[in-house]
Amino acid sequence: MAYVKVKRRKLTFAERTYVAPIAKGMVTTLKHMLQLGGTERVTMEYPEQKWKLPDRYRGAPVLVKDAAGREKCVSCSMCEYVCPPRAISIIPGEIDGPVEKAPKVFDIDMLRCIFCGYCEEVCPEEAIFMSEEYELCGQTRAEMVFPKDKLYAMGEKFGRDGRTKDPVKKYDRLVSEAAAQGLDLTK
Amino acid sequence: MPKLTIDGKTMEVPKGATVIQAARAAGIEIPHYCWHPGLSVAGNCRICLVEVEGMPTLQIACNLLCADNMVVRTQSEKAKGGRADVMELLLINHPLDCPICDQAGECKLQEYSFRIGKDRSSFDFPKVHKPKHVRFSDKVMFDAERCILCTRCVRFCAEVAKRDELDIVNRGDRNEIAVKRGGELENDYQMNVIDVCPVGALTSMDFRFKSRVWFLENAKSVCSGCSRGCNVTVGSRWNRVLRVIPRENPHVNQWWMCDAGRFTYKGNDADTRLGAPMIRKNGALAECSWDEALDAAAKGLRDAGADLLALVSGRLTNEEMWLAKDVLAHLGTPHRDVKPRAFAKDDFLRTGDGNPNSRGAALLGIAPGTGGSGLTSLGSRAFRGAALFGEDLDDRPEALEALSKCGFVLVVGSHETETSRRAAHVVLPGVTPFEKDGTYVNVSGRVQRLARSVIAPGEAWPDWKILGALRARLTGAPAPRTPADAFAEMCAASPAFSGLPWNGLGEHGADARTPEPAGAAR
Repeated sequence: MAYVKVKRRKLTFAERTYVAPIAKGMVTTLKHMLQLGGTERVTMEYPEQKWKLPDRYRGAPVLVKDAAGREKCVSCSMCEYVCPPRAISIIPGEIDGPVEKAPKVFDIDMLRCIFCGYCEEVCPEEAIFMSEEYELCGQTRAEMVFPKDKLYAMGEKFGRDGRTKDPVKKYDRLVSEAAAQGLDLTK
Repeated sequence: MPKLTIDGKTMEVPKGATVIQAARAAGIEIPHYCWHPGLSVAGNCRICLVEVEGMPTLQIACNLLCADNMVVRTQSEKAKGGRADVMELLLINHPLDCPICDQAGECKLQEYSFRIGKDRSSFDFPKVHKPKHVRFSDKVMFDAERCILCTRCVRFCAEVAKRDELDIVNRGDRNEIAVKRGGELENDYQMNVIDVCPVGALTSMDFRFKSRVWFLENAKSVCSGCSRGCNVTVGSRWNRVLRVIPRENPHVNQWWMCDAGRFTYKGNDADTRLGAPMIRKNGALAECSWDEALDAAAKGLRDAGADLLALVSGRLTNEEMWLAKDVLAHLGTPHRDVKPRAFAKDDFLRTGDGNPNSRGAALLGIAPGTGGSGLTSLGSRAFRGAALFGEDLDDRPEALEALSKCGFVLVVGSHETETSRRAAHVVLPGVTPFEKDGTYVNVSGRVQRLARSVIAPGEAWPDWKILGALRARLTGAPAPRTPADAFAEMCAASPAFSGLPWNGLGEHGADARTPEPAGAAR
């Protein structure tokens, strides 16, 4: 296609001094500075100022402990099974007491996680929750694989405002029921 | 021969057959816990209730003999309702700790609860609690709460293992299984109670909490522990074998296997696994490329020629033995042998012969040929060269001493051994029976498929590939591309295997062609 030469309009003298356009721009700036009508602020002073999250926001999955400080997770691996991007990897381990089992390794690869919430949905022990944590960053890939301790620390912070729902005392009930029947399950 | 009708299907069954057997033969599944095809009838779980025309109450199918003109309904409302009620009763004191339980995923209680049970319990009182981790031995763990007292384990010990070690103690809802006189389980087949247990009451100490069963990749293979060749299912994950459990084969092991067979996978991912071919240079073994190592091995074999002593392991597959024999025939050496390997012997499954394929070796003629000497001559006679295919001499120090004086020693093996360290000039890394496909012939002449379940470490090659490559270098014959190729070649040339199909061996294997030699151990 042949090119068309566009003819530029010749600027007037007033325009060539740029005084009037600058003044016009300054008025707009001033209006925002003084927050006059129709100019409320839409930007946020992040990271000093944080976003108010909706109630059902799904941030990073975290692990929580029960009211007595015991690990709720029994490494049943349902979350590992259901996880669509296979972000979770668990190696179960044996512990003392009536529960018998807890994760030896519980890693979530936050680079893989798609924050779908299936893990929270499927967990039979209510041990994993979608937190409000969205600031996930690191320098290396390895750093972005969150180990068990880190997930519990995140859960601690997250659990403070009562978001991990009920303080499950399932195993206290088990032990007291058994004790009433003359059986010590804590051994 | 009674003729009866089950769910509208009319069938004729042998006299003495029960309804559950007749239904099973006709492909109709009746739920069952305490009934097991290999054990006597106990009739205590009551889940196999069926409706029989003319009988006022529901009957248990496992203990009901088939009679002429009997009409059985397994899917009537009455039968289904009865089974749902039995399910509820069985679950009254069950802890429902499926997230912790190792049986979850292969638990009959889960399966039937899901399929035929109710979604809630009408029982409002605290459950009866029982001890949760009782060690029956260092192989078997017992959880009394999960037990539904079907007595399969009790009957297994008494009837199959022939050691009456388990029993039910206490009364009423305090009933639990216990080892008699407070001892430990001692029989050599005790881990079968884990497999027969329909719930998670008896679990394996070895597999305990290692992985959930639904993550396992299962390969249908054959045990390499002894010459019985029990059919097994090998469960693996993360490219590691995690458990070996028996697989039903009516011709070989029925439903069982010995405990030692379950532990054959130990050492499969040991640190001593060989991952690269090696050549001895200046007295020390150094890693090298496959081409280099194979060339050196072929040269060494060719130089030794007819004065080569070859030890072919009884753990190699038929295809590998066939290729080895072809190589040796080309070299013209009659000196070939299989090292005997001892194993426990009893009058049930264990044969006393630790070589899983010694029958295959016999059928293929892996024994000293005319004028040839075998393993015992090592020490009294000097050989120009020696080749150990999948074998070592770690347990025979004098033979190893003599071997290290040979001019050339080739060792093909999966693990680093004293033999490979001290005597080998060329080491070619092979694989274990868990890492290759092939066939074994068991003690009674049954040809059975071995299936790969994990991938070998490093650059290790399956032994058939190594032997094929060696043969190609020595004779120019094309190397088989798959074990099936080698199998076809062997079947065409060896009368014992003639006409056997690789894919047609199926899950239960097929009998080798030659009749069994008189006096061979069964």
